[in-house]
Amino acid sequence: MKHIGLILLVWFGINQAGQDIYVCKNAVVNIYSKAPIEDIEARSAKGTSVLNTTTGEVAFAVPIRSLKFEKALMQEHFNENYMESDKYPQASFKGKINEKIDTGKDGVYPVTATGVFEAHGVKQNRTIPGKITISGGNLTLTSEFMVACKDHKIDIPTLVFKNIAETIKVNVTAAYSPNK
Amino acid sequence: MKRSLLFAALLCSAIMASAQTKSDSTTKASSTDSLMNTLSSPEKGEPVIATFKATRLIFSQTTETVKKKELNFLVIHRFGDIAGAQGGGKTFFGLDNSSDIYIGFEYGISDNFNIGLGRSKYEQLIDMHLKYYLLHQTTDNSVPVAVSLFLKGGFKPYHVETNIYDNFANRFAYFAQAIVARKFSSALSLQISPSYVIDNIPFPLAPTNENNFFAISAAGRLKFSKRMGIVLDYFHPFSRFRNNSVDPKFYDGLGVGLEIETGGHVFTINLSNAQAISEINYMSNTTSNWAKGQFRLGFTISRIFDFNKKHKSAY
Repeated sequence: MKHIGLILLVWFGINQAGQDIYVCKNAVVNIYSKAPIEDIEARSAKGTSVLNTTTGEVAFAVPIRSLKFEKALMQEHFNENYMESDKYPQASFKGKINEKIDTGKDGVYPVTATGVFEAHGVKQNRTIPGKITISGGNLTLTSEFMVACKDHKIDIPTLVFKNIAETIKVNVTAAYSPNK
Repeated sequence: MKRSLLFAALLCSAIMASAQTKSDSTTKASSTDSLMNTLSSPEKGEPVIATFKATRLIFSQTTETVKKKELNFLVIHRFGDIAGAQGGGKTFFGLDNSSDIYIGFEYGISDNFNIGLGRSKYEQLIDMHLKYYLLHQTTDNSVPVAVSLFLKGGFKPYHVETNIYDNFANRFAYFAQAIVARKFSSALSLQISPSYVIDNIPFPLAPTNENNFFAISAAGRLKFSKRMGIVLDYFHPFSRFRNNSVDPKFYDGLGVGLEIETGGHVFTINLSNAQAISEINYMSNTTSNWAKGQFRLGFTISRIFDFNKKHKSAY
């Protein structure tokens, strides 16, 4: 009987140790379009993310409507004509970080995450590079990747072809805090 | 006995352990999901955007305003009658005539408040307007409609030989409107606008003609692609004089058009019976009848210029 108790105790102990979940409610997302006629950028600080450092699971979402542009008309067209944000309100990524991260050790870890990136209702399997910075228990994730409009069925009419890039650069910064 | 007990206990703990890892991994997976859901709970009551693509349909103002520090340049044109006595081949189906031309500007003092200035060929009317986006429709339907208020003052500057403008105030006319619109889907938007017209000297000059009367407009847009839609516009003046007059006979306005958005521009190509473009004029003076071929080709060009200061790109 002593043994069983011991086994169970050790078992629970192992399970308890594995709950390293981090959350971020104000991740910053920037998008950039570089085209011959104009450069367009938009920014949101309303991205959300969950990161489980034990399993490597990472989830990320940003409401399309929260992306703010310099020109109001651009923002309207972005939502109405390109992203159809009433139908597809958010862009998201859900996947797993391929590398092991030691949250106890400060440093900069280059990582890659493999999973499903969804924008404009179209899902794409992607491996996205990023960087995790750990300093004094604070965990920050940054990532920069390109999204091709045609991969997500975002049509750019030939008339405005020179105003909007075919590939949009996306820049993400999330500063996490432990989930309590 | 001891051995079998130990064995049973081990087996038991193994089952428990495996059950636990199973449930543990599923709760973990769903905990990421549910955590995401709690984090990204959809923001309630966001204002509905782009009920209409432009500030005008054919006759009507829409609820839309020009955003802060944006300038809207408008050119609106109405040709002559396509058919009937004034139309046909001899006027190249009205294209040789212009019943009205309007050139105007609208500027965004704020996202919800606009001022505008324009001039019509018809009555040489110079008008100024104020528009205020009072109420935004919200995505959660807590506000089911959008409401804009529109005020316009018109001035007729031309020289006359008669004494009608001896009193300078007679040159002025006013128009007030509440525009109530709803975007039913990304394709369909409808609006209805109770209106009031005040004209210090109403035309035609007749003792029974009213200085002021109520009117109503109804309009809608149905998009068939992201950038193109059909627009329909209708108005009716509640004027006893206009409803009873035989010569001239007055008609309700009806217009149908195609709206095309190209980025910074919105074009509307339309057919309508009303000759005039400014509300003050068309509400008072629509004597053209679709049934007599007195309808015309018209177009609206709306071009937005943005005067917001550009900050340096970080790209």
